[in-house]
Amino acid sequence: MDWAQLWEIAAKPDNIPIVALLVLIPFFTWYGFRQALANDRLIARLENDKELAKTHNRKLEPYREEWDQKVYVWPYLLRVEFFVAIVVTVILMIWSITLNAPLEEPANPNLTMNPSKAPWYFLGLQEMLVYFDPWIAGVLMPTLIIVGLMVIPYIDLNPLGNGYYTFRQRKFAILTFLFGFMVLWLVMVFIGTFIRGPGWMWFWPGATWDHHRLIFETNRDLHEILGITSGQPWIGLVGATAVGLYVAVFGWLTHKLIVWNEFNRKIYERMTLVQYLTLQTFLVVMWALPVKILLRLLFRVKYVMVTPWFNI
Amino acid sequence: MSILRKRPRLEDRPVPEKDPITTSSLATPIAIFSLLLILTLVWALYDEILGLRPWIGYQRDFVKTYQKALVEMKPVRAQEEAAIYGSNEYQELEQALQEAETAIKPALAEIEQEERILGPKLTAITKPFTTARSRVQAAIYLLETANESSKASLEEDLQKLREGPYTVEIPEPDGSLVEKSYSYGEMEEEFNALKVKQGELQARTVELVRPSTQLRRELNTFASARLTSVTEAQVEGLLTRLDNFRVEIKQIYNADIGRVAANGQTPLVDRCESCHAGVREPVILTPETMGGNPLFASHSNRELLTIHDPETFGCTPCHNGNGVATVGVKEGHGNYKHWLWPLYPKAHFDAGCLQCHEADRHLELAPTLNAGKQLFSQRGCQGCHPREGFEPEPRLLRSVQKSILDLRLERNEVEQETQRTISTADRAETNEEADRLYNQADALTLNIADIDTQLDRLTVREADVMLEVKKVGPNLKEVKTKLKKEWIPVWISNPHDFRPTTKMPRFRLDEQQVQAVSAYIWQSGIDVELPQQSSGDPQQGEILFETRGCLACHSIGEESGATGGTFAANLSRVGEKANYDYLVRWIHNPKERTLPYCPIHQRDITPEDYASQGLPFQFDPQHAQCPLGDHLLQVQQPTVMPNLRLSWDESRDVASYLMMQAHEDAAYPDAEYLDDSNLAKQGQALVKHFGCAGCHEISGFENEGKIGTDLTKEGSKPIERLDFGLLTTQAKQEGWYNAKGFFDRKLADPSVWDQGKVKEPLERLRMPNHELSSEEINQLTTFLLGSVESVIPTTHHYAPDDDREEIQKGWWLVAKYNCMACHQFSPGQETVLENLPLYQDPDSRDQLPPSLVGEGARVNPNWLSRFLRNPALSETDTNRNGVRPYLKARMPSFGLSDGEIQQLVRFFNALSKQPLPYTAVPPDPLSSQELTMARELFTHQAAPCLRCHATGDAATDADSSAPNFLLVPERLRSDWTKRWIVHPETIRPGTNMPSGLFRQQDQRWVFGLADVPSLRSYTKDHAELMVRYMFQYTAGEQRRLTSR
Amino acid sequence: MAKLYIGLFLLGLTVACGGGGETASEVAPEAESIAATPETPQSSAPDLSQSGSVTGRVSFEGEAPKMARIRMGAEPSCEEKHGGPIYSQDVVVNDNGTLKNVFIWIKEGMDQYSFETPSDPAVLDQDGCLYTPHVLGVQMGQGIQMLNSDQATHNIHPVPANNREWNISQAAGQEMTRSFPRQEITIPVKCNIHPWMKSYIAVVPHPYFSVTSDDGTFEINNMPPGDYTIEVWHETYGTQEQQIKIDPNSSQNIEFSYSG
Repeated sequence: MDWAQLWEIAAKPDNIPIVALLVLIPFFTWYGFRQALANDRLIARLENDKELAKTHNRKLEPYREEWDQKVYVWPYLLRVEFFVAIVVTVILMIWSITLNAPLEEPANPNLTMNPSKAPWYFLGLQEMLVYFDPWIAGVLMPTLIIVGLMVIPYIDLNPLGNGYYTFRQRKFAILTFLFGFMVLWLVMVFIGTFIRGPGWMWFWPGATWDHHRLIFETNRDLHEILGITSGQPWIGLVGATAVGLYVAVFGWLTHKLIVWNEFNRKIYERMTLVQYLTLQTFLVVMWALPVKILLRLLFRVKYVMVTPWFNI
Repeated sequence: MSILRKRPRLEDRPVPEKDPITTSSLATPIAIFSLLLILTLVWALYDEILGLRPWIGYQRDFVKTYQKALVEMKPVRAQEEAAIYGSNEYQELEQALQEAETAIKPALAEIEQEERILGPKLTAITKPFTTARSRVQAAIYLLETANESSKASLEEDLQKLREGPYTVEIPEPDGSLVEKSYSYGEMEEEFNALKVKQGELQARTVELVRPSTQLRRELNTFASARLTSVTEAQVEGLLTRLDNFRVEIKQIYNADIGRVAANGQTPLVDRCESCHAGVREPVILTPETMGGNPLFASHSNRELLTIHDPETFGCTPCHNGNGVATVGVKEGHGNYKHWLWPLYPKAHFDAGCLQCHEADRHLELAPTLNAGKQLFSQRGCQGCHPREGFEPEPRLLRSVQKSILDLRLERNEVEQETQRTISTADRAETNEEADRLYNQADALTLNIADIDTQLDRLTVREADVMLEVKKVGPNLKEVKTKLKKEWIPVWISNPHDFRPTTKMPRFRLDEQQVQAVSAYIWQSGIDVELPQQSSGDPQQGEILFETRGCLACHSIGEESGATGGTFAANLSRVGEKANYDYLVRWIHNPKERTLPYCPIHQRDITPEDYASQGLPFQFDPQHAQCPLGDHLLQVQQPTVMPNLRLSWDESRDVASYLMMQAHEDAAYPDAEYLDDSNLAKQGQALVKHFGCAGCHEISGFENEGKIGTDLTKEGSKPIERLDFGLLTTQAKQEGWYNAKGFFDRKLADPSVWDQGKVKEPLERLRMPNHELSSEEINQLTTFLLGSVESVIPTTHHYAPDDDREEIQKGWWLVAKYNCMACHQFSPGQETVLENLPLYQDPDSRDQLPPSLVGEGARVNPNWLSRFLRNPALSETDTNRNGVRPYLKARMPSFGLSDGEIQQLVRFFNALSKQPLPYTAVPPDPLSSQELTMARELFTHQAAPCLRCHATGDAATDADSSAPNFLLVPERLRSDWTKRWIVHPETIRPGTNMPSGLFRQQDQRWVFGLADVPSLRSYTKDHAELMVRYMFQYTAGEQRRLTSR
Repeated sequence: MAKLYIGLFLLGLTVACGGGGETASEVAPEAESIAATPETPQSSAPDLSQSGSVTGRVSFEGEAPKMARIRMGAEPSCEEKHGGPIYSQDVVVNDNGTLKNVFIWIKEGMDQYSFETPSDPAVLDQDGCLYTPHVLGVQMGQGIQMLNSDQATHNIHPVPANNREWNISQAAGQEMTRSFPRQEITIPVKCNIHPWMKSYIAVVPHPYFSVTSDDGTFEINNMPPGDYTIEVWHETYGTQEQQIKIDPNSSQNIEFSYSG
C-alpha cells in the first residue's frame, strides 16, 4: 500500500472538490432520504386517519396538535439559511487561505504531462472516452445528458410528488437519477481521479503510479471475437444485429420497469406515446454506458459495432 | 449541530413538548461559527500581512543585527583612519597644503580688496546702462523699419538717445557717491572696461589657488587609497541610513534581460534583496559579523558584482530561482515542482556563468567550471557526446572538404557554360549579339579564376585542419608494433587496475567480450616491422625524462608517490605494455605514422600505392598529397603529444628508462585467441557498439560518428526526459529527482539506471565507468547543469567581437596543448613544473620556463609566429631551445597549424592589448661615436649584461641564464626593451634581471652603476642608447665583443 | 495542502465540541542570531626582570665533506682579495669539530609576547664576491643594510617563499636598506652576476636567535623564564629541535650535533 502515492492524489489541489464530493454526496443523499421517508410515513398515516388530516397539514414529523399549522419564513427559515451561509464562508475562507490556485510551469508543447487529466468536473467524460468513440463519448453523450435533464419535467406526470421530500411518489425518478448520477457519473469521476494513472492505465488505489509499467491489454472488436473478419458489410451487420439485440432486450426490460407495479402502471396510463418513447430512448442509451463499461473491463471488447462512419 | 448525532427513527422518538421549529434555538451554533468566522478573518489578515511576507521579519532582523555590527566596527575603523591621518606622509601633505594656502593669502586679500571697489561700481552702472541700451536698440529697430517720410525724425530721436546725457552715481572706495554723466557711447565703454577688469581679477584668483587645490586633491586620494574599508564617517552614514530604513520589497527591474522562454520574454523582476538585504552593502558582511545568520551576508565575490552590476543583471540570471516570489524560502529559491529554474546549489554556483560565457574556455572567477570543462575534454567525454565548442575540428574538416567538392563541381559547370556561350556566340546572327556573348564568356572565365583562388585557399585550410584534428586516445592501428599482445585484454577488462589515474574508462564487458574486442583491435592493427633499436642508457634517460619537461604532462610513481602532471598518462608501468622499438620512435617524434590515412579512399595508403604511382614512399605535412588522387592525407598521429626534438640517442635513453618502469612480478596470461578471426568479427560489432572510435583511431572506424547524447543543452532537459529507471520512485521520495541527482549518480556509476532491469547485454547502458572522484563529479555536474538553453537574451551573452574574442579563442588552444603546465599566463597561476621537487631549491628555479604574462607586449608578433612554428629557431640544429639554450626543460614543437599559430599570436597580443598587425619601428641607427659609447657602456666592468646573457660562446653559455642579444632585433619590441632594462621588476617581479641599472636624472635615464667617462658628455638617455645599440646588434658585433 | 485538511479537521473538532480556538498557520522561520565575536589574544612585551639565557654549541660528527672550489676568474678584483683558493661555504666545520653557520632560534614559546622591531639595521656585506655573514638572522621588519665593499657590481636577489621577491643591482660602494615583514626560515639570497654567491637570511618574530661562530658556540640572552622549543637550522643538514626550560636568573647549556 503506497500511502505516499494515495496522499499525493488526495492532496492535489485539483482533487479537493472530489474528496469533498465523496463525503458530501452520500451524506446529503442519506439526509434527503431520511426526510423523504419520514414524510412518506406521515402521509400514509394521514391517509388512514381523516381527523388528523383536517387538523394537521404540516407534512412533517414529529408534530402535536397544539402546534401552529404554519410557521413563518422569518425567522424560522432565514436564520437557518443565515447559519449555513456563515458555515460555508468559514470553510471557503480556510480553503482559500491554505491553498493557492494550482498553477504549473509554462506550457511546453514538446512535453505533455502524463497522466494528463481533465479538471475534476470533466473526469467522468474523460473516463467515458475509454469506452466509446470520441464522437459518442465527447459529443453525443453530453448532449443527451443535458437534453435528458431538460426533458425530465415533460415526462414527469405525477404532481403529487411536487414541493416536498418524498420517495413514495418518486421511486422511479429518484432511482433513475441516483443510478445516472451516483453510479455512472460519480463512480467514473472517482475512477478518473484515483484509479487512472500514467498512460491512463488502471491502478488500484494505493498502487504506485509507475511510469514504466507495462501491461498486456489488447481490445478486440466484437466481430473479431466472433471470428468474423470478412470485411464490410458483414462486420457492420454483425454490429448492427448486436446493437439491435441490445435495444430489443433493454427496451423490453425498461418497459418492465415502467410498468413495474400498480403505481407505475397508473403513471404509464397517463403517458402519451411521445413521452413513453422519449423515456425509453434515454433510458436505453443510459443503460448502454454501464453495459459497454462491463463489456470492456470484463471481455476487453473495443467496439460492438464497426462501420466506416462511426463505431459503437 | 445535533444532526450529526445518532438518534432513533423519527416516529419512535418521544414527541417534544414544544414545537422544535418555533422553540429550538440556533443561537449557540451561530455564535460559535460567528466566532470561527472572526478567527478565520484574523487568520486571513495575519496571513496577508506576515504569513505571506516573511521578508518583513527578515528586514527588521537585518536592521537590528546590522546596526549592532556597525556599532562594533566603528572604533576599529576610527583607529585605522587615525593611523592613516597620523602617518607622516599625510601630515607632510597637510603641512604643504597649509603652507600653500598661507602663501597665497596676501595676494588673495589684495584681489578681494580690488573687487570690493569694483563690485559696487559695476552694479551702479549696470542698470542705467542696460535700460539705455534697450531704448537705443528699440529706436534703431524703428528707424530700420520706418518708411522714408518718417525716417528723418526717427534719426533725430535716436541721435538724442545716443547723446544722453545719462547721469550715474558711481560709489567711490571711501563710500561717497560721485555723480557722473555719460553719453551712451561713453557709458558703454565704461561698462565694458569694468567687466574686463572683473574678468581679470577672477582669472588671477584661479591662477593663485591652482597649486593648493591640487594638493587638496592629493590629500583626499591619499586617505581613500589607503583605507581597507569604509571610513568612520561612512559608518555613521550607514547607521543614519539604517535609522530610516524602509521595510518594503526591494526589487530590481530590468526589461532587457528578462527570461526568454517558450512564452516569450518576461522582464526581469528580482526581489531577492527583500530577504538577502545585505548583499550589496559597502561593508563586507560575513555570517559571523551578522550574528551567524548567512541570510544577511554580503555577496561572497565583490569582483563578480562589479563586473555584473546587479542593477543590470539582477540575481536570477546567474543564480536561478524565482526572483518574483516573496512568500517563502522554498518559493523564492524556486525549489518546487513547477519552477523550471531552481536555484543552483552552492557547490554548483559556477554553472550559472555558462549560459552567457559558453564561448569561454577559461573564466578567472569560475574555477569549478574551468575544471569541469578541462575534465570533460581531458577524459574524452566529447569522444562519445557531441558538445558545442568541444572537438570542433572533425566537423570543421568535413565542412571544408565539402565546400571544396562543391567548388570543384561549380567550376566544371561554369567551364561548360563558358564553352556553350562561346559556341553560341560563334553562330550568332548579328555582331552585337556575338559581342555581348563573348563578353559574357570572358566574365565567366574570370569567374573560374576566382573559384580557383578560393579552391587554393580552402586546400591550405584543409591541410591546416588535418593537423588540428586530435584524438583523446592513442592510434590503435599501431598496436601490433606498439603493445605487448598479452597486455591488451588485461588492460581492456579493467584499465584502472593497471593504471588508476588513466582516462581510459572501464566498459561493461564480460570475459568473452573483452577477448573479442582485443582480438579485433589486434587484428585490425598494421603489420610492419619497425627498425630494431639498440638499447640506450637508462640513467641518462631518467635525467632527460625529469629535466626535459616530460613531467609537465606525464606523471610517474604510483598512488601517493606520483609526481608530475595529470594531463597525460602516468608512466609508472609503461614498461609492461610497450615495445621498445616503437617507444623510441614515439619519443623521437610522436607525430610519426606508420602509414598515412586517406579520407577519400577511406583506408591507409601503403608503400605499394606509392610505388604504383612511381612515387617515393614519403609523407609528412609538406608531402600530404594522396598518391591516388588530388586530395590530402592524414599524415600525422592525431595526438597532442608534442615533439621534444630529442636526438635518436636521447630517445633511446628515455625509452630504455621507461621500459624499466614495470612491476617485477608482472605476468600476463598468453593470449593466442587474439589471432582468432571469428572472435575478431564479434569484436568489430562490439567496437562499434561501445564507440571505441570516439577516442581512438581504429581502422574501419575512421569516420565513425559519436554514439552518445548531445550534451550541449543537457542542463535544461525536462526532468521527464532523464530516465531514472526503476529508481524514479525512490528518487522522488528521497528528494533527488532532479538534474543534479541524475548527473551525480550517473557519473559515479554510469550503469546505475539499469539497476533491477532485465536487459540483453547490448541493450544495457553503454557509458563506461571513469572512476571519478567526488570532486571531479562535482565539477562535471557543474558543467552539465550549466549547459542549458540560455534564457538570457543573446544581447547580454559575452560574445565580444574585438580583441577579447581572440582571448576567448586563445584559451581553447592553451587548454588543448596544456601550455599552462609549463608557462604562467595570468599572475598567480601555478604551473605543474614549478611544483615539481626538481625545481624547489632556489638555484634551480632559474631553470623554470619563462612566464608569459605580458608576452604580447614583449615580443614581435611576426617573430612569435616563427618561434611557435619552430621553437629551435633553426632548421639544422634542432636539439635545443631557440631562445633559452641554457634551459634544460625543452620548448617542444607542437606541430601547430598556421591557423592555430596565428590564433595564439593574436591571443598574446590581445592579452597585453597590443594592436595587430604590428609594424616594427626600428630605433634610429647609432652615430659612430654613439656606437663607441654604447660599446663601452655595454661591456663596462660595472655593467653586468654579458655576465648572464648568452653570447654564443659555448664555454660561457653553459652557465648563462638569459637569452642571447642576437635575438633582440627581430624578437623584441623596442619600447618594451627600454621599459625592461630600466624597470625589470615592474614587468616581472622577482626576475633574474636586476633592477636599478639606470637611475633617473633630470628627465633622462643614466647608467646608475658606474660613472662611464665617455658618457659624461652624452646628454641623451643612456637606456635609449642601449636599446638602439641592442637593435643593431649583429653576430659580427658579438664576435667583436667576445674576442676582447 | 495538508493545511487545508488540518484546517477542516480543526473546524470539525470545533463543530463537534462546540467552540474552538485559532487554527494552525505558518510563521516565517526566524533566524536566531549567535553573537560570535572572535577575541584577540592579548600580547604584551615580556617581563625581563629575572631573565635567563641559553648557551651551547653545535658539534659535527664524522668526515667533514670536501667543499667545492669557487673559481672567481670572471671577477679578478675579487679573486685578488682572497689570497689563495676559496671554497664554497655550504658546510664549514671548525677546527674544534663544531659546525659554523648554524642558525639557532626559539621556535615555540614566545607567542604570547610582542616585541618591537629594533631600529638599527643588520648588515649584509658583499666582500670578495661573498656574502658576509653567510647566515644572517633578523627580526621581522628589521632593516637589513646591504653593503658592497667590492669593486665589482653585484645584484642582490633574495628568493623568499613567504615574502616578496626582489632583485636589485648594486654598484661598488653603493648601499641600501631593505626589510622583510614576514617570518621565514630561511630566505636564500643569490647574486645572478656571481652564481657562486649565496647567503641565507632568517626572519623571526623576536630577538631570541643566534648563529654559530668560528668555535661553533652560540648564546641567547635575557629570555623571559618559561618553556621553549629551540630549533637549529643548517642549509645542508636541515633542522633539529630541543625542549628547554628557562628558570629565572639562570643559564641553560644545550648541545646540538649534526653528523655528516
